[in-house]
Amino acid sequence: MSQLPLAGITVADFTWIGAGSFTTKILADFGADVVKIESAERLDSLRKAKPFQGGISGINRSGYFADRNSSKRSITLNLKTPEGRELARRLIAQSDIVANNFTPGTMEKFGLGYESVREFKPDAIYISMSMHGQAGPQASFLGYGLTMGAVTGLHNLCGYPDLEPAGTGTNFPDHVPNPTHAAFAILAALRYRRKTGRGQSIDLAQIEPTIAVLGPAVLDFTVNGRVAERAGNQHLSGAPHGVYPSRGDDRWIAISAIGSQSWHALLTVLGIPELAQDPRFASETTRWQYRNELDAALASRTALHDAVALSQKLQAHGVSAGPVQDAEDVLYRDEQLIARKHWAYLDHPEMGHTVYSAFPFHLSRTPGYPSRPAPLLGQHTDEVLKEKLKLTDDAIGKLREDGVLQ
Amino acid sequence: MLTDLNSPQEGPLAGIRVLDLTGGAEQYCGKLMAQLGAEVVLIEPTQGSASRRDGPFIDDKVHIEHSLQFAYLNQGKRGMALDLTSPQGPEIFKRMVANSDLIIESERPGQMRLLGLDRESLSDINREIIVVSITPFGQTGPYSEYEGGDLITLAMGGLLSLGGYPGLAPTAPYGNQAVLASAQFAAVASLIAIWELEGQAGEREGQHIDVSIQESVAMALENAVQYVDLEKTVRKRTGGEQSQAGTGLFPCKDGMIYLMAAGIGAGRFWQTTTQWLLDGGAPAEEFCQERWHDAKFLASDEAKKIFAEIFIPFAANKTKTELYVEGQRRRIPICPLSTTADLLENEQLVFRGFFATTPHPYTGRNLVMPGAPYQLSASPWHVSRPSPRLGEHTTEILSGLGVQSDLQNMLFRDGVVV
Repeated sequence: MSQLPLAGITVADFTWIGAGSFTTKILADFGADVVKIESAERLDSLRKAKPFQGGISGINRSGYFADRNSSKRSITLNLKTPEGRELARRLIAQSDIVANNFTPGTMEKFGLGYESVREFKPDAIYISMSMHGQAGPQASFLGYGLTMGAVTGLHNLCGYPDLEPAGTGTNFPDHVPNPTHAAFAILAALRYRRKTGRGQSIDLAQIEPTIAVLGPAVLDFTVNGRVAERAGNQHLSGAPHGVYPSRGDDRWIAISAIGSQSWHALLTVLGIPELAQDPRFASETTRWQYRNELDAALASRTALHDAVALSQKLQAHGVSAGPVQDAEDVLYRDEQLIARKHWAYLDHPEMGHTVYSAFPFHLSRTPGYPSRPAPLLGQHTDEVLKEKLKLTDDAIGKLREDGVLQ
Repeated sequence: MLTDLNSPQEGPLAGIRVLDLTGGAEQYCGKLMAQLGAEVVLIEPTQGSASRRDGPFIDDKVHIEHSLQFAYLNQGKRGMALDLTSPQGPEIFKRMVANSDLIIESERPGQMRLLGLDRESLSDINREIIVVSITPFGQTGPYSEYEGGDLITLAMGGLLSLGGYPGLAPTAPYGNQAVLASAQFAAVASLIAIWELEGQAGEREGQHIDVSIQESVAMALENAVQYVDLEKTVRKRTGGEQSQAGTGLFPCKDGMIYLMAAGIGAGRFWQTTTQWLLDGGAPAEEFCQERWHDAKFLASDEAKKIFAEIFIPFAANKTKTELYVEGQRRRIPICPLSTTADLLENEQLVFRGFFATTPHPYTGRNLVMPGAPYQLSASPWHVSRPSPRLGEHTTEILSGLGVQSDLQNMLFRDGVVV
């Protein structure tokens, strides 16, 4: 195997919590040397977030933290001390990328804002991933994954129209739109620097990529004046399309049988070919018109079947179908994810053999994969200070005594 | 790749030539590239991309040139219509491949090989070519031949199980988020491969990238898989409920707001929220009692009910914006539950100039749409050219390949190109 595609790229990583840490995980899993700069006093709150190995809490035991921080190294620096800030500057001077997702002004307070950094490291690529961007009337407003889902419009659009919005059930912006857009911008800026020698700052406001993935809904308003509404699982392009009950407790199957061939195959597999004779379901158009009646008729049959077995049968007949899998299903039972090694197991010094996600893109010649478990807090402080800043054991000991390395 | 990157107007991806064969929301990948400066050609089947048949439509007119879905996903691209299943189709495509860097495709696994257009075959023409394939379950594995679709991949990737209301069928995230997720990951993967390629010394070699939509969905499971692995707990859907007293959706004068008075950093926000209620004359003395600092009590139905009975009347005569601004002034995590209409009035987005305007020549309309998702100081994002009409650049592209006009005419008559 060739070396990892981002080998040689160095990152001074000040990110924490969600989207920021996920962004630098992409870089780390594909070979960048990511040094996570942490504070023992002001912990990354995910270190204190469930789930914990064995249910026992501890700053080095969180699976939420671990999954976002594979393949990285961790050092602790006390940025409230002048020496701590000087060490941070020296690390930045040796890095290609500087990343943070603080509220605007935080990095500046430590003398590590872009304007300061560019003075001693003119070609740095400096990404700030604040909630609302670096400037503006609401730049300092607080936000989290859930408020972000709400303020971007995503939360309002998920669920049934006659019930309160349900959202996605997760902090969706943290896991897809923000880390992907941030990594894409960083990689584009790296290419630009390779061609021109120039660094730059990237201002990513975390509310914006999520709105970008709602583009058509926004356009429906700006062009047609229509405010988009929740639609459950309906699909405007046809019926039947939805989530139907299956055998067992809270078990469901997703089926999309739009088009004549799928429709007839669905009825054959469910053993209700007579439904095709019902005039309400005779054409694509009428199936859409009578979709509620159709869904009810189908649900009474799907409820008799096991979701996995029925899905496999439907797929064998060319019908798009799949069981609604919960986290246990995707981890232990989904043959596809297992065959493709989507779940990576790494040996963590405190958590043991535990699970991480691998990115969903497989490069044929230079694949990336989680290469080492999430770091313990400050696990690599000495190693990084020696390797990158050429500090001696004595110097490190002195810094530690002075409280600089906390 | 000769473009002058020193001109400040150039995007950071200037000089990268992309052929986009995708038909649905996978087209977002090429859009990301185009708006940072890559030259992207969308190659559609002669009847047009599938996304042209997805609404909403401009003025609700169902027409191949009216889809807002298509207009949004293909902003910045040139377009040609070419029937790759015709005998001449693959030959024309191969001539384009000779002068390209990246192909994005979403055919079912094996289809490109049948056409003689998989990466291995194409590397004879262009060793440097990078091919990114986006499919529901990936190119390999027992489900690789399965039929996909947004809802099915959301179900099998696990995210669907977390969305919706207890007791009712799970509900999907709005708007093709599974396919869009794969497009976003595909864009990242493409730039990783381009970075690697452009760093090679001597004769360079591209590669193939296999993107799975199911796996892209699984990236969004947050901590659910770790809950299973570490605590043997399976997370369930909880939509429509306060997760604990003070955290959730609450109605106000003109809609709803999302409040996080308890939860992350709990103590601090609880105190400031209580003070806010008291200052506004709400009977919130109750919230100073000790039991409101007990996580177990906060999670109880009783606590949720009491909180709602005090907060809802307080919010009833205040707008989303008023609550947002005043709550945030007090450093409380609160925000409006925005509708798409609210986004256009969001002061911060307006300040950042987030919404971009682009002409839509076919209808003569101007379209206002989400703009730069990131602001790069030296090599900025551009709204770039409008999405192409079906076959808009076909002759321009064929001529560029050296196809004579009489031959172009024949291809057109035979239905190979539009």
